[in-house]
Amino acid sequence: MSLNAVEIESLSKMFPAAGGLSRFTVLESLTLRIERGTFASIVGPSGCGKSTLLNIIAGIEAHDSGQVRIIAQNGTKSAARIGYVFQSPRLLNWLTVEDNIRFALEAQNIGKVSWDERVKKYLDMVGLAGQEHNYPLKLSGGMQQRVAIARALAIEPDILLMDEPFSHLDEITARKMRVDLMHILKHAQPTILFVTHSLREAVFLSEEVYMMSVKPARIFKHLRVDIPRPREPEDPRLFDLEKDLVREFFSVLEKDQQ
Amino acid sequence: MKNHALLRIGSIVSFLVLWWLGSQLSGPEILPGPVAIGRTIIENFVTAGPEEKTAEFHVAVTLARIVFTFSIAMLAGIALGLVMGLRRRVELAVGYLIPIALTIPTLLAVFLCVLWFGYSEAGGLFAVILTVTPFVTVNMLAGTKAIDKELVDMARAFKANRRLLIRKVLIWQLMPYIFAAFRYAFGMTWKIVALAETFGLKYGIGYMFTFWFEQFNMVQVMAWIILFVALMLILEHGVIARVEEKIFAWRPVHAF
Amino acid sequence: MIGLLLLWQVVSLFFLATFLPSPAELLTRVAEIFSNPSAYLIVGKTFERILVGLVLSMLIGAAIGLVMGMRRAVASFFDSWIMVLLTFPAISWAFLSVLWFGISDLAPIFTIVLIVFPYVTMNVWEGTKAMDKELTDMATVFRANRLLLLRKVLIPQLMPYIFSSLRISFALSWKIALVSEAFGAGLGVGRELTYWFQSLRADMMLGWGVSFMVLMVLIDLLVLRRWEQRVFSWRQAAVA
Repeated sequence: MSLNAVEIESLSKMFPAAGGLSRFTVLESLTLRIERGTFASIVGPSGCGKSTLLNIIAGIEAHDSGQVRIIAQNGTKSAARIGYVFQSPRLLNWLTVEDNIRFALEAQNIGKVSWDERVKKYLDMVGLAGQEHNYPLKLSGGMQQRVAIARALAIEPDILLMDEPFSHLDEITARKMRVDLMHILKHAQPTILFVTHSLREAVFLSEEVYMMSVKPARIFKHLRVDIPRPREPEDPRLFDLEKDLVREFFSVLEKDQQ
Repeated sequence: MKNHALLRIGSIVSFLVLWWLGSQLSGPEILPGPVAIGRTIIENFVTAGPEEKTAEFHVAVTLARIVFTFSIAMLAGIALGLVMGLRRRVELAVGYLIPIALTIPTLLAVFLCVLWFGYSEAGGLFAVILTVTPFVTVNMLAGTKAIDKELVDMARAFKANRRLLIRKVLIWQLMPYIFAAFRYAFGMTWKIVALAETFGLKYGIGYMFTFWFEQFNMVQVMAWIILFVALMLILEHGVIARVEEKIFAWRPVHAF
Repeated sequence: MIGLLLLWQVVSLFFLATFLPSPAELLTRVAEIFSNPSAYLIVGKTFERILVGLVLSMLIGAAIGLVMGMRRAVASFFDSWIMVLLTFPAISWAFLSVLWFGISDLAPIFTIVLIVFPYVTMNVWEGTKAMDKELTDMATVFRANRLLLLRKVLIPQLMPYIFSSLRISFALSWKIALVSEAFGAGLGVGRELTYWFQSLRADMMLGWGVSFMVLMVLIDLLVLRRWEQRVFSWRQAAVA
């Protein structure tokens, strides 16, 4: 039985010609394997196809060739639960906070008996106990994003996809959310695939960092972050790692441009 | 704001006073006063008018026509707007008819339908449905196009099935458009039913307009007009506004 | 489009030309109507009424809307009247104006004004609510007097609202003109429609109706829309 939660083999995707532009390759023969329970980040500049990759894994975009396998905890391939936190909260503004979470539970066919318990547990986990009956538009951006995180966690996913979840927040809120995310993950350990354009964020949050480059999008380097958790944001080892990554990126970008 | 409530009351009162003054100056043939009108309206309900029918009967007939045509126009318009919004081919095939339908003058539509259906009830009702449906369609089409794809993707990422997607994601996004269509179409339907009753239908408030107009009876003409307007106002601002408030409770007040 | 015309042609074969004319027969009717010089007089008369009614509606409506926007007290006083006026069906004013003014030009013009000006008022009022306070403050800091403020700051901001209400008001005005002319005019397109309605001549109704419709749409597209685009050319640049 595989130790992996996610297996991607030779994944390719092309965007079709539109409005005078020819087809171009978004992803080319991408291969990636993520072990269960790992927090893996995918870092790369904007437009390199990171979001497309997540969308393909989540099943909302189609790929042209290659294989994507999500393996559930109990080993069977089909029933794998995927949680997704987007860049913007994507909450249903006409439903209360708790109903937003219930929406995901219903979508996943999770039995109604566990709903109340899960809603309470995961809202507590993200620090929003007591906000059940509020409507999203009454909450701040950071709070809305935390509801989105609670929603994704509440289905107890086999794999949690996060697409630059803190990029729309102001720096102070984002910093707090990163630390909070670390605390939250002490209680639940899903496999996480975290997309970001921030090297700092990737290095701070994850165990495995995969670097992606543009045109064509491929993973050109993989780094382990061996620093044990809990991590200090100001840890000098993180700065060093970040510097290494930056150097790697620049050399690859230069080569790509030639 | 207390002041503004007072101002509103003040405006209604001053309007009534002006009206009354005007009626005193010009006489009942030209401008009957509010009291005379009020009395006439009540009398119309109590005593049987032409053809032994009281006002109740005519109001009921008009209301029945409004409810019938409005429901059909809403259903047809919503269905058409949704289909056009979701299937581009349909939009391309019939889309050009919409601006044409919106431009047709109501008078012409009523005349033609009444003539073609032989002065029957069907003719008048069909004219109303024909004129109102395009407005609802346009609204629904705009609503369908405005659906937030990001929310649909989110629901699909969480593997929501079709029913859940429609119930919790799509319908709510269409609600404002359905409601806008509802309010506008409701107002329209009233007015066109009145027009159809004036020219081609038997019984009803519009029918009474014509009847008394042909007799040059100013008091009755005004009485029926005031009755019509009052009914419309009560329904539009009393009932519909309440329902709208409840449905849109989740929206922050100033985002409107 | 072709499909529809073919369908029309086929269906019309089952009916009398006076009941449902074929496309060709309709064109013939239109040609007949306009070969008679009196037709131009009739159309002209109706158009005259529309124009006067429209201009009056715009002036009155914009003035009231502006005042309502500038003074909250005035807004609270008049908004219920406007709301009530919006509820009146055109036919009611048509009847009342004929009873008051008899068969004349005044009846249709009065009807048009009373139905259309509330729409203009609402539009312009909305426009005043959306005005940029920062610009007004700037003008105040530069000590602009009231007239200058009105001319150079306030009214230009209102122009989009005035223009959008112009096209809608035009569309409304010509339809109301027809309704009010139905029995309230000696000479007019609406009168023609009623006459042929009573004569059971659908073909003549269509002849007059369709040609008038086309004329009004042409005016909207060729005159009003062009005008609107020219006035707002400065906006285009920013967006592009």
